[in-house]
Amino acid sequence: MNDLPRPELILVRYGELALKGKNRSAFERKLVENMSAATAAIAPVRYERSRGRITAALKRPEEQADAPATLQRIARRLQEVPGLSSVSVCIGVPKDPAVISAVVNAELAERLEFERGPVTFRVSSRRADKAFELTSVELDRYVAERIPPELWDKLEAKLKGAELEIGIEVRPERAFVYLGRHAGIGGLPVGSLGRAVCLLSGGIDSPVAAYYAMKRGCRTDLLSFLSPPYIGASTRAKLIDLARSIARFQPRTRLYLAPFAEIQEAIRDLCPAPYRTILYRRFMQRIGSKVAKRNRGRALVTGESIGQVASQTLENIACIEAASALPVLRPLIGFDKTETTDVARRIGTLELSNRPEPDCCTVFMPDSPMIFGKLEDCLAAEEALDIQGLLMRSLKGIEVIEFEAGQERA
Amino acid sequence: MTILYLDHAATTRVSDPVRAAMAAALDADFGNPSSRHPLGAAAGEALEAARRTVARAVGADAAGVVFTSGGTEANNLALFGLTPKAASGRGADVLVGPTEHPSVRVPAEDLAGIGLDVRTLALDASGGLDLVAAADAIDTSTALVAQMLVNNEFGTHYDVARLARAVRARGGEATHLHVDAVQALGKLPLDMGSLFDGLCGSLALSGHKVHGPKGVGALVLSRAALAKGRLPRPMIRGGGQQSDLRPGTENVPGILGFARAVELAAEGVAGARAATLAARIAFEEALAASPLAALGARVLVPWSDDGRQAPHVLSLLVPGAPSEVWLHHLEERSVYASAGSACQAKKKDLSPALLALGLHADEARRVLRFSFSAETTPAECRAAIDALAAVAQSLAHL
Repeated sequence: MNDLPRPELILVRYGELALKGKNRSAFERKLVENMSAATAAIAPVRYERSRGRITAALKRPEEQADAPATLQRIARRLQEVPGLSSVSVCIGVPKDPAVISAVVNAELAERLEFERGPVTFRVSSRRADKAFELTSVELDRYVAERIPPELWDKLEAKLKGAELEIGIEVRPERAFVYLGRHAGIGGLPVGSLGRAVCLLSGGIDSPVAAYYAMKRGCRTDLLSFLSPPYIGASTRAKLIDLARSIARFQPRTRLYLAPFAEIQEAIRDLCPAPYRTILYRRFMQRIGSKVAKRNRGRALVTGESIGQVASQTLENIACIEAASALPVLRPLIGFDKTETTDVARRIGTLELSNRPEPDCCTVFMPDSPMIFGKLEDCLAAEEALDIQGLLMRSLKGIEVIEFEAGQERA
Repeated sequence: MTILYLDHAATTRVSDPVRAAMAAALDADFGNPSSRHPLGAAAGEALEAARRTVARAVGADAAGVVFTSGGTEANNLALFGLTPKAASGRGADVLVGPTEHPSVRVPAEDLAGIGLDVRTLALDASGGLDLVAAADAIDTSTALVAQMLVNNEFGTHYDVARLARAVRARGGEATHLHVDAVQALGKLPLDMGSLFDGLCGSLALSGHKVHGPKGVGALVLSRAALAKGRLPRPMIRGGGQQSDLRPGTENVPGILGFARAVELAAEGVAGARAATLAARIAFEEALAASPLAALGARVLVPWSDDGRQAPHVLSLLVPGAPSEVWLHHLEERSVYASAGSACQAKKKDLSPALLALGLHADEARRVLRFSFSAETTPAECRAAIDALAAVAQSLAHL
């Protein structure tokens, strides 16, 4: 069994990274760091960087009960790491054109067994070993010419946009063969573009917003608000589950749980009822700014989208943002609800968000909330509040939960 | 006389760690996961942790785990919940494996009864799936293909990975592949990511086959099924628990025990395989050396190391008397086995799986099933053969 060609290596590609000339090396290092963190819980993996590619291989394949399956598992986990455009699981073969061709044919036979065809394909060889007997163009042709007729019946050569890529990498020590690529989520390595704090409610939108911030390279910590005794332990559990679920997109994630009941009571007792929701949110921005700045965070992230709920008017967004000491990023600003829901389903947060638990915003909901708020009215209303005292007590009461990627979810 | 329990495919003893996991939930942590107080929230957290444990053990996402009352309900939920209410009129709507457990076969018969085009896959000459014929039956009108991973009567390990390729090529996104993995759990490494890679699919699991409690199992949906929102229609309606897919207050003690059992089963796959293989080989060697072989007793699918069998379950064709008689004679010698599938042992009808294997009705009535766990020893298997030989001798005198 051991002599049979089997998956030995994962080839990792990263698109956008390559464009960032000067910082490229730092970006690559960050990407490898993040990939290592993501796969640490599966098996020890050796990553190597060379010529615009990263490769991943098991450190001790002999220790795995089923090494090929473990490698597949690692490849799937890597597809969730921001910054990576695609992965291919490669079969290791000796550097002999005849053997390479035989393995390609065996893989094709398996892949095409049930296809009615024609499947468009192309061969793309890369030769890192310049001493290899064939150039990459010659190897492409060598392999294509030796595809047996019964497989040709199901194939059609196509250089651009082929459905099936037959990839061959000739390296100094060994050659590798793969069929097709599995798409990654793209974006940039988390941590390569600083830190942000995302305000996380129990809804569908905010986890998706946090995901997009991570995807664009921001280490994104999460901040939620709890209002015991108005809101119970099950809401807290839901927020932790949501945080854990999106924490898999970056190596380390902090969830800050800030007490909010005192602030809400003060607003209820001392401010005009229609402004309650806006004033709650202004406090959330203040707390978010403070929490972010403690850790050199440079932005807040929210799941807001224009007009999605009555309070998300431009007027109200302006009133709320004015309380933030940091830029507020709204990745979902142009999303319809159905688009956000689709992404939530794809990244696995939808089921958790749909769990029916109240969140702190529903506490003391006024009958007719303000839809077109004015900043001067907000400021006037807040004069009745001990803003600094309320903030300080909430900040002091923050509970922090840390997540390490990969440990929560295989 | 100590009991020789060789019926592990029927059920297993609850292990100590599983019992411990359940005890707390029966006692101090008795909360209802839907309750709003901390006792409820603690139960809810334990429940969600159990969901993650099960997901991790089979390479799935936690959101895909639907806890059920066992393998039968998981299979029913897939068969009834993931099929259309009316025939497409364009070909096979549902395909089921040739040797499925009744919890797949009977729902499939019901679906045919309401007018769906339900077809049964065939075996090839070597006892594996006839995948060429299967692929030809699948097209984009096929809503569901249901195929077990390991047979519960004679241990055949079907090439479901290859079937998945056929489904991908012929049915694609339109077709859901449901895999009854009840007899595979703990015996083979299970990784839904590899198996279903991009396909809508599901696994049925059961707790009591892997030293967990009875009455609990799961239907686990693949990542693609979740991402595309292809969820089963619930069979029962109620208070919205488990995302409404399977309402009713969750069986928290059972689920916590189940999750622990699944976790241990997944961790122990290599050990369980080695132990049951040693038992299996001892059984077959002792059989070959015993007078039973000359009387015509034979293992229906003898062990071979080609990856097409799971070692822990075998069917033995015995000479002369029907299996029921053999079972009771073995009982007197404290050897516990079963006839065919335990679920059918009391029924008059013959196992369709045995008939699919090519047995005549007369032979299908003379099949005993022996099944092993990681705790079964070769010595126990040799003792079982001795007992069988003694039974053969006493039956010969009748």
